[in-house]
Amino acid sequence: MRRLFAAETSEYFLLLGATVFLVAFGLVMVLSSSSIQSGADGGDFFARASRQGLFALIGLPIMLILARLPVRFWRRWSWAAIVGSVFLQLLVYVPGLRYGNGYNTNWIRIGPVTAQPSEFIKLALVVWFATILARKQDLLRDWKHVAIPIIPVAVVAIGLVLGGGDLGTAMILFTIVLAAYFFAAVRLRIIAVFLLGAALVAYSLSQIRSSRVDRIQVWLQGCTNPDDALTSCYQTLQGWYSLAHGGVFGSGLGNSIVKWSWLPAADNDFIFAVIGDELGLVGAIVVLLLFVLLAFAFVRIIRMQRDMFPRVVVGGVMVWVIGQAFVNIAVVLGLLPVLGVPLPLVSAGGTALIGTMAAIGIVLSFARHHPDAADTGLREAPAR
Amino acid sequence: MSLSRSMRRRVAVSLLATVAVVGVFTTRLVDLQVVRADALTQQATKIQKASYITYGTRGSIVDANGIVLADSVQRWNITAAPNTFASWAANPPRGENPSTALAKIAALTGADPQEILRALTADPTKNYVRLVLSVKLATFQKVKALGLAWLSSEPEPARSYPQGAIAGNLVGFTGTGSTPLAGLELSAQSCLASSNGSTSYEHGADWVQIPASSRVTKAAKDGGTLKLTLDSDLQWFSQQALQEQVLAQGAKWGTVAVVRIKDGDIVAAAQYPTVDPNDVDATSPENRGARFFTSPYEPGSIMKPATVASLMDAGKLTPYDQVVVPSQYSTGFPAGARITDVFAHPTMRWTATGIIEQSSNIGISVISERLPVAQRTAYLKKFGFGSPTAVDFLGESGGLVQDPASIDVISDKAQQFGQGISVTSAQMAGLYQTLGNGGVRVPLTLAEGCERPDGTVTDQPSTEGTRVVSAEAAQNTLLMMETVAEYSNISKIVTIPGYRIAAKTGTAQVADPATKAYGKERNVSVAGISTVDNPQYAVVVTLGEPTKIKTSMAAAPVFAAVMKQVIKTYRIPPSTTTPPNIPLTW
Repeated sequence: MRRLFAAETSEYFLLLGATVFLVAFGLVMVLSSSSIQSGADGGDFFARASRQGLFALIGLPIMLILARLPVRFWRRWSWAAIVGSVFLQLLVYVPGLRYGNGYNTNWIRIGPVTAQPSEFIKLALVVWFATILARKQDLLRDWKHVAIPIIPVAVVAIGLVLGGGDLGTAMILFTIVLAAYFFAAVRLRIIAVFLLGAALVAYSLSQIRSSRVDRIQVWLQGCTNPDDALTSCYQTLQGWYSLAHGGVFGSGLGNSIVKWSWLPAADNDFIFAVIGDELGLVGAIVVLLLFVLLAFAFVRIIRMQRDMFPRVVVGGVMVWVIGQAFVNIAVVLGLLPVLGVPLPLVSAGGTALIGTMAAIGIVLSFARHHPDAADTGLREAPAR
Repeated sequence: MSLSRSMRRRVAVSLLATVAVVGVFTTRLVDLQVVRADALTQQATKIQKASYITYGTRGSIVDANGIVLADSVQRWNITAAPNTFASWAANPPRGENPSTALAKIAALTGADPQEILRALTADPTKNYVRLVLSVKLATFQKVKALGLAWLSSEPEPARSYPQGAIAGNLVGFTGTGSTPLAGLELSAQSCLASSNGSTSYEHGADWVQIPASSRVTKAAKDGGTLKLTLDSDLQWFSQQALQEQVLAQGAKWGTVAVVRIKDGDIVAAAQYPTVDPNDVDATSPENRGARFFTSPYEPGSIMKPATVASLMDAGKLTPYDQVVVPSQYSTGFPAGARITDVFAHPTMRWTATGIIEQSSNIGISVISERLPVAQRTAYLKKFGFGSPTAVDFLGESGGLVQDPASIDVISDKAQQFGQGISVTSAQMAGLYQTLGNGGVRVPLTLAEGCERPDGTVTDQPSTEGTRVVSAEAAQNTLLMMETVAEYSNISKIVTIPGYRIAAKTGTAQVADPATKAYGKERNVSVAGISTVDNPQYAVVVTLGEPTKIKTSMAAAPVFAAVMKQVIKTYRIPPSTTTPPNIPLTW
């Protein structure tokens, strides 16, 4: 009982604070960027923002409850989680449940509820990778133990997500695999070989879908031709116009122009453009610094872990959240082709928000107490 | 702490990588938001910005009392998108089809459905064509209520003339889009013209205007208000009285001028036939102008007061001078040529006043010998003949005063009684203004000035007078004219009890345009002043070529009616003195 009410560590509050701030900030920006389109679609200017608020209200208790669970809980349920989330992802292939826009059909719809099962796959994979790697930690000098069973499971998971047409999420899943290896102290040389193999696969896959090739080619050309402004470069250029409109100090909250039906996905994939518009260079840099702060908190939490399991989980979540944020921002800035990845904690999207907050909840559960003072109930060999 | 050194290094690397990426992003943000911001915004503006025209309002024309004679109103052009129409017509919604839709538009606007169809189908790739021009609000709303997606509209400024034909020929009229075509509408363009402005705005991809994004890039400027000296009530009365008499006498045309003596303001300048600016096509082209200013004619005997005033100013004549007037005048004329009076008489002994009262051409010729032709011509020019008035109306004529160096011997004398000289009604009104004003000619004024939207008044005409004849000569001329109102054949008609009226009649021969010789037609006039002892208003009435009564008797009723109306309108007090009883014979 005493432990239940004991004060948490400073890392705990750093991570919690940065997360809650980003979520709250995200709600404001979702309201600003979605209100016009919401009004145009259904007449209710608050429709999407209030949905997002509802998800935040669901996500917050989930995060705080998960933060109270012991480490052994995660290890016990990791297999169930991976099986369950893969099953959910399979539903994407059921015609009556499949749902999406254009090429990305990585959604399911049951009645009024829509969800993106790939978000749960991310969470399950992080925990499951950590469980496997922690168990095998003495065998990881051998590449076979590194590869089995993680690579087959990862290939299945990534394959299922790619099958739904969601290249961005597949990329994030891939970086989560790399992160797990990286923070499980797998030799860099083995990681490099896997990376090379994956790059070959990715290149051949990217040639299959023509819309992808188009996007990548447009990106390689750099969207410098104004003639592309209304065709293949449309979204990227609109994002740039938005940022340019903001200038240094921003056009002011609510004053973005591109959110008036110009910029598709202004409230999720391209919300950073609206932030840069309304809050300017200053606001955009503050958001970047918030993610740096988040990374700093993750790193502090990794450093305080004695065991490999929490270290790999935190590393995985860190790469997931920070990596996804960077991919998202790089897309808006035109440094990456348009991939369709939301900005974690900020963008509109229920499953993504709840999934990310749950992941951070797990990280928080490792940060409540210094492991030196806490009894995890498990014997661990010191990491190398 | 239990982290291995390699793990600590990996953690540090991940944090460093994060910071490095943020560094790259920040650089890129500065590039986009600061360095290339202007260029990108310029590109975006091409797509996101649009502008619309804001319409300035053309100024109105008002009379001296502020009654509106010409005003701007809003009309709408019905426009359409032929390309949208083509796809709509190819696959019309249920219950609709192109021919009934066109029939409905035609029924509402009065346009020809075939014309509309032709406009719509001439070039099906166009996205803009005008179907019906300048419809009123009610029609516009009914057309809009048809709910046809390919129909659109645009505002079209138009002109309205609430007083109709009253002063219509002076006000002038405009064509489509308020293009000025005639009269003051055209000549006062610099006062009345408005300029359209434009307002830019930012819009969404669905063309919704973004709130608070509109910026006035060019302000619309309203035109000024042109204030006339006319009294539209008196103008109406004059026009009405004139029209009745022109029709009754079967005349070709008629004019009425009423001028305020002290300031030269034209308070009424009526003509018949005239034009209703609301319906220009109803009037034949030659009658759409302002005859009052633009059509000179030989005035006849109403010129005689100018002659006696000139001689008296030069000290060559008094009202009491005793003159022997022969039965005809041919001094120095070629064989067979002579000047006669309208009635045959033996040699008469008339005073100068008697010559005016009898309107004797011979008498005027005799006394004209007292002053060389060059000096007499100079006087005529000083009275304003031979050059346009200060009004400078559009297309105004100066009439014709013959050159004294080359004038023939007959015209030398004939000019003095209004033949062989041509004048406009406006110039003739100027003569009587001068005589009433103690010999000082004040520039005639039709427009008092232009009141700009900011309240300043510009284009105010000069009111500086020039002396033509002495005050005594002018007053004596009025006394001589008074005998016409008292004793001549129009006396019964023009007498207004209690008022001393000075008047002069004129019955001018009209030169046949084909033969250049005088024919049977006459231009008949009565000109006068009220009152002799306190001259305030001058009235000149002319009927062109009447077919019933061919003397000034035809014009007298209009003169009397207008003069009475002037007295009532301006509350002219009755005379307090009596005529001096100048002898007419000796």
